[in-house]
Amino acid sequence: MNQVNKTIKLLRRSPYQALAAALAMSLTFFITSVFIILVIGGQIILNYIEQRPQVIAFFHDDTTEGQINEIIQQINNTDLTTNVKYVTKEEALAIYRERNKDDPLLLESVSADFLPASIDISVKKASDIENITKLVKERKEIDKVITPENLVEQLVKWTKTIRFGGIIFVSSLLSISFLIVIMVIGMRIAIRRDEISIMSLVGATKWFIARPFFIEGAIYGLVGATISVLLVYVIILSYSPNIQEFLGPIQVFPINPLFFIYLWAGEALVAATVGICGAALALYRYLKIK
Amino acid sequence: MLNFESVTKKFPNGQIALDNITLEIPDGEFVFIVGPSGAGKSTLLRLITKEIIPTSGTIIVDNEDILRVPSGKIPLLRRKIGMVYQDFKLLLSRTVFENVAIPLEVLSLKNIDLEKEVDSVLEKVGLKDKKNSFPVQLSGGEVQRTAIARAIVAKPKILLADEPTGDLDPKNALSVVETLEKINKEDKTTLIMATHNASIVNHFKKRVIVLKDGKVEKDEKIGKYESS
Repeated sequence: MNQVNKTIKLLRRSPYQALAAALAMSLTFFITSVFIILVIGGQIILNYIEQRPQVIAFFHDDTTEGQINEIIQQINNTDLTTNVKYVTKEEALAIYRERNKDDPLLLESVSADFLPASIDISVKKASDIENITKLVKERKEIDKVITPENLVEQLVKWTKTIRFGGIIFVSSLLSISFLIVIMVIGMRIAIRRDEISIMSLVGATKWFIARPFFIEGAIYGLVGATISVLLVYVIILSYSPNIQEFLGPIQVFPINPLFFIYLWAGEALVAATVGICGAALALYRYLKIK
Repeated sequence: MLNFESVTKKFPNGQIALDNITLEIPDGEFVFIVGPSGAGKSTLLRLITKEIIPTSGTIIVDNEDILRVPSGKIPLLRRKIGMVYQDFKLLLSRTVFENVAIPLEVLSLKNIDLEKEVDSVLEKVGLKDKKNSFPVQLSGGEVQRTAIARAIVAKPKILLADEPTGDLDPKNALSVVETLEKINKEDKTTLIMATHNASIVNHFKKRVIVLKDGKVEKDEKIGKYESS
């Protein structure tokens, strides 16, 4: 603790370089947090959509129960689905009424005979939608098939792009932060060269001389991670009603506060490691002790 | 005990700073190393702290051949030696107290012990009332006494002083060397002082080793020095 206090005292003597390094770390880990949240959010949306029926097949009115059961059996036999649900005309009417309960005009003179029976099919993998659609379309009992127009595929593609882009972008920012830490600690070694030389002459070990710089690197990382997570927390807290409204039925909020603690812990660990490694490289490069 | 046995130091540019020097300095002795600029006085002191290594020969410090001390153990060797420089080498951003405390910080002394030791040594060199001053607020003699306090605070066995009176007026120079003599007498610290200040050397009547062109020209128990 004594060493940490001494290091903080030294940082306060030339605060601008320290501020530059800490802000670079904050920016890096703020962007990292945003990407992590986008990837997790994307996955939640994907899970939600994958759990919804992705293929809905409507029957001709004259289709018998036996034919419907045969089709359901045929679909189940493919082993590509997670759920196949038969929706009768009466159930279709109930759903229709529920969805349009606020519009009496649409409810007038609608009976079960107007609505077709259907089956809602959920597939295991988005890539199987095409096969299932082809299979049901081949059946003469099926009048019409609707699919959510490659929404899942698009979402998978977007999630992958965000993940890949995020890794590239965050890696670049991490490299920049790493270089800034090396530069700042290198400058601080140069500023303190008289002190280092005196310490060496009075019998300080290399570790004793190097230790404050390692602590300094770790402090940059910890401060950066803390600022970034606090910023993300405040932004999410402020905009969560708007985001939830945009997402509609997909329940994302409230986010468990533990998530932010884990996010901080993970980022603090990575950031402190980056800071310490940057300090180590700066010391290797610039610390010359006779 | 400090021994130099056939020590030669030749720098990469070909200059021979010390040429086959053999010396023996018993524990607790006060020795002046004198000679003109370039005679090899500072080189001799820097060899003792292993800031530089000799080209040939053996240097024994406190029964240890310092050439055999591995680089990781050099700090332990240096803790036995205090050093006072002509240019003081004080940190201008630190107070007298903080400057003097550096060797004790290196030894990771507890704050309470550190304060006690620093206060005691500042009293010995007559700077107790200046402990919170910065070096720029002190006179030349006070600055050098701060440097002496720093050199002795960790109780070294050997104290090296490289031209400690070089930047001081005669009155302050005398006061600084009197302080060094007091430390030598009271603490039995071996004291080796490099200087070309003849009046100081002749005033104190100590052992004098005269170096010229890297060789020992004269070594007298109670010597005199006549600068050219």
